[in-house]
Amino acid sequence: MAKVDVRKLNVWFKDKQVLKDVGMEIRENTVTAVMGPSGCGKTTLIRAINRMNDIIEDSHTTGEILIDGENIYNRSVSVYELRRKVGMVFQKPNPFPKSIHENIAFGIKIHKIAIGRKLEEIVEKSLREAALWDEVKDRLHDSAFSLSGGQQQRLCIARALAVEPEIILMDEPCSALDPAATAKIEGLMKGLSEKYTVIIVTHNLQQAARVSDFTAFMYLGKLEEYGNTRSLFENPKSEVTETYITGRFG
Amino acid sequence: MRENAREKIYFSTLGIPLIICMLAFFWIVYTLSTGATTLSWDLVTRSALQGGMFEMIIGTIYLLGGAAIIAGPIGVLAAVYLVEYAPNGRLTHIIDQAINNLAGVPSVVVGLFGFTFFARQIGLGISLLTGWLTLALMMLPIVIRGSEEAIKMIPPSFKEAALGLGATKWKSISSMTLSAAFPGIVTSVILGMARIAGETAAILFTSCVFITRGLPKSPLEPVMSLAYNLFIQITVVGERSQVIFGMALILFSIITSFALVAIILRTYYRRRQLWLR
Repeated sequence: MAKVDVRKLNVWFKDKQVLKDVGMEIRENTVTAVMGPSGCGKTTLIRAINRMNDIIEDSHTTGEILIDGENIYNRSVSVYELRRKVGMVFQKPNPFPKSIHENIAFGIKIHKIAIGRKLEEIVEKSLREAALWDEVKDRLHDSAFSLSGGQQQRLCIARALAVEPEIILMDEPCSALDPAATAKIEGLMKGLSEKYTVIIVTHNLQQAARVSDFTAFMYLGKLEEYGNTRSLFENPKSEVTETYITGRFG
Repeated sequence: MRENAREKIYFSTLGIPLIICMLAFFWIVYTLSTGATTLSWDLVTRSALQGGMFEMIIGTIYLLGGAAIIAGPIGVLAAVYLVEYAPNGRLTHIIDQAINNLAGVPSVVVGLFGFTFFARQIGLGISLLTGWLTLALMMLPIVIRGSEEAIKMIPPSFKEAALGLGATKWKSISSMTLSAAFPGIVTSVILGMARIAGETAAILFTSCVFITRGLPKSPLEPVMSLAYNLFIQITVVGERSQVIFGMALILFSIITSFALVAIILRTYYRRRQLWLR
């Protein structure tokens, strides 16, 4: 069974339809890349998976997204529990204006997951998983803004991991970072997919090819093509996909 | 060369208002300091019944502190509501305008309102409590406006991050937005206190009397204050002129020290807010 099963998803912002009948199944413990030109709806798609589109005024969604078989748009689903289960990393690193430690502890505290020594253990574990522990272990109480951009983004990944999610959404996580920091985060993704299901939005073709197992190509709000990354890149079925990956537009 | 000379003239012209302000300030400080000779520890701690100022000083602090304690939280919560929860419609716009207008109401009118509404209609009488409520009313628009600005300054990306972790809206506001906006909120409370600090008209007929027997024993009793007593000393009693300057000096120092505490707090919090730079 698919971890995430998107069925006939339509999203409107005011009168503008941003997603049109999108359907895709995402497998557990894989890295899935969503790519496509700007404005194609790829960010809207992943923000539908943790219902972050809900906070946008005048947005309207139809269709279903099943996670472990349950439709997350059901009335009975708590959006707060959902977002705990489906973590998110944003385009620009956005640590809280708090210390490194407080950034990680924030989610643990609001969900009352742990206190005291157990909390410290989760903080350390999350920072280790995000490959940041060794760089910050001696200055956990410094401001998160004293970190470099790449470190800040890894902090945001650690912060998302701390609430014990199952799925991690990453919205162009490297677009604000330099190549070295990008390489570090890409290196992380493979490891993360052993434990989590990772979905990443990118408009960088090489990045999609390097890190993902499956790739979806979106165009004008529709899912143009979706499949195994390798076959999609070597052997695209859709003409639009082919034009895009050969660099003739976008 | 000629351009340069012209620039110089412009800049020196711009400096004149500054010089005027500085002169005025030093003159005020000088005038106040002439009162310093009349002051003594004994005078400050002696009861008003024996010609001291003890009850006036404590009364002033009571009035200022109490009003800030009432107006601070109410103002901040109102600002949170207006920014985060109020629907973006006509009614909200009208309320916003009303708050702006409230800030411009002359203090004597606010005092009159306090007297008719709090003292008479509600029946709190001429009391410390009536004074607190009246002064809080004067502070509120400034605290609300300032806090609103501070909350709006918080980048939306912080809020997204909190919501993305599964925080409820209120959780994200209470544990993230408010702490990030704290320096701005403190500033707005300072500004509000500055508005009411030396206020005389608003407490004139709501909470003050010329002389009391000791400090008020409950918030329902009237209180003495430096500003009010200064006013009476100058207009009615009209003697002991040096003492008047001494009282003014003490009032000035109390207001300054309130502001100083707030500024220290703000600096402390701002230092932790690297993102503001």
